Amino acid sequence: MSEPKRLHPIAAVVNALRQLKELIIPFLVFVVFGSRGTNWDLFYFYGSIGAVVLIFVYGVLTWYRFTYRIEQGELRIEYGLIIRKKRYIPFDRIQSLDLSEGILQRLFGLVKVKVETAGSGGMGLQDGEAVLTAITKQEAKEIHDYLISIKKRAVPEDENQEQETRDDILYKMSATELLMLATTSGGVGVVISAVLAFVFQFEEFIPYEQIFDGVEHFVQSGVVFVSVVVFAGFLLAWVIALFGTMLKYANFTVRKVDNDLVITRGLLEKRQFTIPLNRIQAIRISENLIRQPLGYASAYVESAGGSALDQESSRVIILPIVKKKKIPGLLEPHLTDYHFRVDLIPAPSRAYVRYLFKGWLFVLPIIIAAIWFLRPWGYGTLVLLAVSALWSFLNYKDTGWSLDHGMLTFRYRSIVKNTVYMRKNKVQSFSVKESFFQRNKKLATVEAIVKSGHGGAGGKVIDVEKKDAESIYHWYSHETAE
Amino acid sequence: MTISEPQKRISERALTVWKISACIHTLVVWLLAGGLTTITVFFDWPYWIIGAALGFAAVYSYLFIILLPTLRWKRWRYEVREQEIELQYGVFIIKKTLIPMIRVQHVDTQQGPLLRKYKLSTVTISTAATVHEIPALDMEEAESLRTSISRLARVADEDV
Repeated sequence: MSEPKRLHPIAAVVNALRQLKELIIPFLVFVVFGSRGTNWDLFYFYGSIGAVVLIFVYGVLTWYRFTYRIEQGELRIEYGLIIRKKRYIPFDRIQSLDLSEGILQRLFGLVKVKVETAGSGGMGLQDGEAVLTAITKQEAKEIHDYLISIKKRAVPEDENQEQETRDDILYKMSATELLMLATTSGGVGVVISAVLAFVFQFEEFIPYEQIFDGVEHFVQSGVVFVSVVVFAGFLLAWVIALFGTMLKYANFTVRKVDNDLVITRGLLEKRQFTIPLNRIQAIRISENLIRQPLGYASAYVESAGGSALDQESSRVIILPIVKKKKIPGLLEPHLTDYHFRVDLIPAPSRAYVRYLFKGWLFVLPIIIAAIWFLRPWGYGTLVLLAVSALWSFLNYKDTGWSLDHGMLTFRYRSIVKNTVYMRKNKVQSFSVKESFFQRNKKLATVEAIVKSGHGGAGGKVIDVEKKDAESIYHWYSHETAE
Repeated sequence: MTISEPQKRISERALTVWKISACIHTLVVWLLAGGLTTITVFFDWPYWIIGAALGFAAVYSYLFIILLPTLRWKRWRYEVREQEIELQYGVFIIKKTLIPMIRVQHVDTQQGPLLRKYKLSTVTISTAATVHEIPALDMEEAESLRTSISRLARVADEDV
């Protein structure tokens, strides 16, 4: 398997289409502005066709130049049309192979393979990774087997004839959960904004009424019409988002294969992620505003792999939506380092005042401005005080931390409620912050950072007891620990 | 159980450097105030504008040249131990950070012209996820710190 190989020719088409997609906006501008002057029409028409042809020729040439081979334990890729580039990736540096199948690939029974390494950080966006846009499943399997054989050789003391690859299904999403996920994710924002837009439309015609007395009826019906159209538009967007999510997450399965988590998902475009267990930096459980009251939550894994470009591969969703109660049962048997049944210590009650004031500080300028400028109606914004107080109360109530089983757990709310489980040896740095006001109340803010992709992620809990912050500090310290 | 303060302070010359660089950017404020004064005189605007402008510049200078650098310098502590690095800094919000040695990926020192003149340099400590900075250390100290950190820090492969 050492002779250089090309990708399947369909890769040329895929690349060309991707180029086209990136060019679509300049292209549209070009065409729209072009069609103004009549005698230039033909020029623009041929120009556009020429551009498309050029892109395809470029795609084919790029494909022609791209070769890969496996040689001396390295994946060697050579590419580049004008500047020849070579990238040699040693197999023992490869963290995972991510497979995905787009529609084009599926038509021809091909896969796209993304080779992930630890990445050397900082240097260029796609550093330390390679993408084979379209190769046959057979070829992908050969690369995979080769990778496995190298990895096996690397750990000889683990008696080689050990258990043949274990393959446990950790989680498989049910149809109801998929529906749940689709209706309560992303689209939610759209729905809320739709409702807001609706309400706004009605508010809008109140001054209209006073100013244009005669045309009142006309304006009113116009506004209603506009709101209906806007609402319908949002509804449509929501339905599209819903189907998008369903297509993306259909057949979502998490398996544990040896020491890797393998996630597969997608209906039209199939994707597969592999996360080596030892690359897991932290586990995050998120509950958004809609799911929390229903008792549902999602679980993510912060992983050290992935490139800077691709956020998806550093924070990977492993349980898209599941009853929160079930999470420990699902994850604990497989992620044995983590314990999900921990007792969190809440923030002391004197911290609530601080949460309350901080919330009010944020809404007060809005209220003052509203009262100042919109005299009679502005007073309505006083409701914000109550809303903010409630929100602060939620924030305060969700604050918590725990130190248990060599594991640090933070719970806090940004907009969604997050619970982050971190192991001591994965925490990159730990800070205790104390402002003047916190010092008076003997409170402190604690912050722990883990690696996630190329950057950091982690958690911050505001206003825990000062002495608790200190005890976490001592726990994290390698020297003062008794 | 309280956290003991880190022992080492950064160089006293750091304070001088901070004050000098604060002077430089305060100069801009004074120039603006001067400009405003000139315009006020020229167009016969009310004179309180001059007072306000000069007063603002004066307060700004006091804050940024004298008060803040002093507070900052007083607060800045660090300590490099066998197993970990401890930093403490901040004027209004005091932040105390702990970085275990085994998490340190690399250490850089750097200095601008002003720091070089005063034989100081800035040490930057990078982990896999975060970057921490100790500003304005004595050059020799920074150098020895860098070597000792890189000696102590060893990357534990399985953890990253």
